[in-house]
Amino acid sequence: MPGPALRTPRHKPCPRTRKMTVIAQDPSVEGLNGGVLTVSLDVPLERLAPGPRGSRVHVIDYDVSNNVLYRPTSKGLDKDHYVNMTDRDRLISDRNFHSLNVYAIVMTTLARFENALGRRAPFSFPGGGLYPGAAPGRGHVIKVAPHAFVEANAFYSRRDEGLFFGYFTSGKKTIFTCLSYDVIAHETTHSLLDGLRSRYMDRSSPDQAAFHEGFADVIAILSVFQNSKVIDASFPKGRKGKIAPGLLSSEKLRRSFLVGVADEMGQELKKVRGNPLRNSALLKPSPRYLEEDEFKEEHRRGEIFVAAMLNAFLEVWRHRLWDIGLEERISIDRDRVVKEGAEAASHLLTMAIRAIDYAPPVDLQFGDFLTALLTADHELYPDDSRYKYRAALEKAFVSFGIKSIVKSGMWNPPKTSLRCNHFDSLKREPDEAFAFLWENQKRLELHPDAYTYVPSVRPCSRVDTDGFILHETIVEYVQILDLKAGELSRLRKVRKPNKMPNTEHVRLYGGGVLVFDEFGSLKYHVNSKVDSEKQTKRLKYLWNRGDFNQPQALRRFATLHRMRMLGGAADTKEKW
Amino acid sequence: MASRSPQSLIIRTYQVGFGDCFLLSFKYASGDRHVLIDFGSTGLPKNGSVGLMRKVAKAIENDCGKKLHAVVATHRHKDHISGFATSKKKNGTGDLIASLKPDIVIQPWTENPKLKRDATGPGKTKAPAGGKRLYVSSLSELQEFTEFALDNLNAFSGMIESSLLNELTFVGDDNLKNRSAIDNLITMGKNGKGRYVYFGSKSGLEKILPGVKVSVLGPPTLQQSKEIKSQRAKDPNEFWQLRQLQEFGPGSGHRRRLFKSARIAKNPIYARWFREQAARVHAESLLSMVRILDDAMNNTSVILLFEVAGKAFLFPGDAQIENWSYALKKKAICNRLKKVKVYKVGHHGSLNATPKASLWPLIAGARKTANPQLVTLLSTLAGKHGNKSRGTEVPRQLLLKELEEKSQLTATNTFKAGELRRPVTISLRSRKRK
Repeated sequence: MPGPALRTPRHKPCPRTRKMTVIAQDPSVEGLNGGVLTVSLDVPLERLAPGPRGSRVHVIDYDVSNNVLYRPTSKGLDKDHYVNMTDRDRLISDRNFHSLNVYAIVMTTLARFENALGRRAPFSFPGGGLYPGAAPGRGHVIKVAPHAFVEANAFYSRRDEGLFFGYFTSGKKTIFTCLSYDVIAHETTHSLLDGLRSRYMDRSSPDQAAFHEGFADVIAILSVFQNSKVIDASFPKGRKGKIAPGLLSSEKLRRSFLVGVADEMGQELKKVRGNPLRNSALLKPSPRYLEEDEFKEEHRRGEIFVAAMLNAFLEVWRHRLWDIGLEERISIDRDRVVKEGAEAASHLLTMAIRAIDYAPPVDLQFGDFLTALLTADHELYPDDSRYKYRAALEKAFVSFGIKSIVKSGMWNPPKTSLRCNHFDSLKREPDEAFAFLWENQKRLELHPDAYTYVPSVRPCSRVDTDGFILHETIVEYVQILDLKAGELSRLRKVRKPNKMPNTEHVRLYGGGVLVFDEFGSLKYHVNSKVDSEKQTKRLKYLWNRGDFNQPQALRRFATLHRMRMLGGAADTKEKW
Repeated sequence: MASRSPQSLIIRTYQVGFGDCFLLSFKYASGDRHVLIDFGSTGLPKNGSVGLMRKVAKAIENDCGKKLHAVVATHRHKDHISGFATSKKKNGTGDLIASLKPDIVIQPWTENPKLKRDATGPGKTKAPAGGKRLYVSSLSELQEFTEFALDNLNAFSGMIESSLLNELTFVGDDNLKNRSAIDNLITMGKNGKGRYVYFGSKSGLEKILPGVKVSVLGPPTLQQSKEIKSQRAKDPNEFWQLRQLQEFGPGSGHRRRLFKSARIAKNPIYARWFREQAARVHAESLLSMVRILDDAMNNTSVILLFEVAGKAFLFPGDAQIENWSYALKKKAICNRLKKVKVYKVGHHGSLNATPKASLWPLIAGARKTANPQLVTLLSTLAGKHGNKSRGTEVPRQLLLKELEEKSQLTATNTFKAGELRRPVTISLRSRKRK
């Protein structure tokens, strides 16, 4: 069926989005009229086939538990049939709506990534699908099963090129995870982060293990908050459209807004993954958590990351309200409070996504991400004095013991200026990027014997709020070194863990990101060296956990989310 | 009272394939006392499997002189209790064991048939605040979940790898209710003969085995250890997720489509690959949940420590670290574990039933590789449980290597064809001071 873009007369401006109504949080959250709180999303316009099926997302409504494949949805592809529909029962019982809801939220999350990154966001799984091995390169389309099986779980699976949303009963009600905005955004984020940094799913360190889950939580929560309807619904009604300053203190916002939203959102779905928003909102800042055993477990550790981001969000929100009444302690227009909150969430969301490009591709530490966050934002917004986003983030992260790994807070430019002489080619060709690495091996401090490859070269154009465009090219490279444990001493900075036999096979991962400006000069080289002392920590961590050389879990997030709900896995130290 | 103490102990390890069956015969001047620990199997060896369980039952009858003094069923997994099942014709292996008239039957506290469904410990009858569903009923319902999970397997055949299907079938089968065996254990334990034990409780063997100190090191009650809870939902009231499957899932007797009026697609080309992937995903989910149940059930295992003449003998069933944790937090118990001379390897040598960091060093740590005094007993069958590529094979090769290096290992998977049992004799005579 042809999409509206193809039928638009030439003299009219070509629309770039279509409106689609989705559930703003989950079906249990009420809007003003007592019905379900819904919101209209601007979804990138594309030709849609029944499914919905587009260029990046294909909804396949297959229910494994009942072995039923439903006919693809064809209703509502051209026109939004659900405008102003808030009747809970009708929405919950309408299978077409489920498919459209999940499609719209996956696509919007994808578009949010692409908008922040200034380029297409790829998926990590290889092409092939039905024809495994027959199609080179990466897959373009992620499959989405909105009613995949009877299980209180939802997850992304790289191996299966898909997002799976389960359903289950709670009392007499059926709960659909595909109707929860934050669950959909969370799983989509896993798939997109995997596309940007596939090695973040490797076993490496407590931080890296926690990051995938924490980052997905942050994106999901901020995606919900950037919708002003959600913020509006969380404040008490009435009072002539004004909100008293007493309700806007940090603690009040935390208790009434964050915890309030968390409780509403979590009512039905806490069984899917607990309530990370609530747990993180109530986590009091302490620099000690990172060293405590309880927070070595990846879900708990992820909550530290989420807590730091939420604290920064509250801080920025209050900054934005400071000049318009908070300083003088006068009541502020409700609409303004809501608008400033939504904008703060939206900007932090963009910052978090952009930071990925400035983060090392392997062995990520929370400190690396903070540094990336500050640097990426500085590149686009050198002046942070108005709302103090970066100051708020740094303060919040430090309060949880997470410090930038560079004194200045931001990555340092390279010691010697490097320029690519074939920059046009480098923007398109991984081979050209590899040649650059080869020519500058010493200056970039690469290990000469490590296997080196360039997984991606990504030119991007980022736009700030004033319309200023920043052109950058991001080159990602990875180094792999295979050794016997007895050979580690050759690397000088890498130590073998206690009791590791000399014959043990050890694989070290290193890698980095080269950020070029629009003229081909290297602005930043963010790396995690294959022979740095960080490797000692990584090896010790894996060896002591008993995870060393364990095969990668193929469906990691299915297990991860299940364990998040059921409680932590047994201590790996006790296993053989 | 040296004269009342046993002079020696014979521990017989029976060949039951993938299962456990041990007979402890304490030799007293007044006559022998026999304690049978478990009798079950979920997979028999290829050679000589015909009638094997019956042969083992007969061997037990013979070895104990037609009188058992005690039966211990460490937990309700099939590989530990299937031999106690009876038949209508009264000629089942369980009928034979019952005819040996054990004086007491020891089981974990979770098996007490008089226990309220909402009990958190052996003496508790009230539900905790909030009217939460509790451990015992959850375990029972989980077994029902397993029944329909297995029932549902046919839907996946042809869509998933046979290895995955086999593993799911195997683990699931072990977790079925084993009704007949459970009923027989209850019957044998009637008239005050049943002992439902927990950490620190009396074992009931005090009068049967004079001169032998028998301590119950597990399972803890829920009040004693919250760590058993961590095997389950954080919310202690439920394995609700599994119950939902039971209530709403396929094979539960009321299979129903979510959207009755929705139109169904047949098998379009675009969906074929993804359907198979989704089936595999779901089968793995079921396997993962059945494994959680498996672990939870393993952690109800009775752990018995027999001590006599300065020697200790440890029989932990299939207990994993969550069961062990409570006992291992106590220094005095750790010191006593250092005297273990015979260790029955937990859970057929799986990766997580001989806690590597907290238990094994106590048992084996001080001993040198040469001339080992530690005896280990392993009842197992390779290729039945777990997966080598995932590092979950049973017996776990790393553990097996350690056992071979640091102890005298008796492993049933090395028994010759037709070898029904292998005894180990330990002298219990106290050394006289010079």
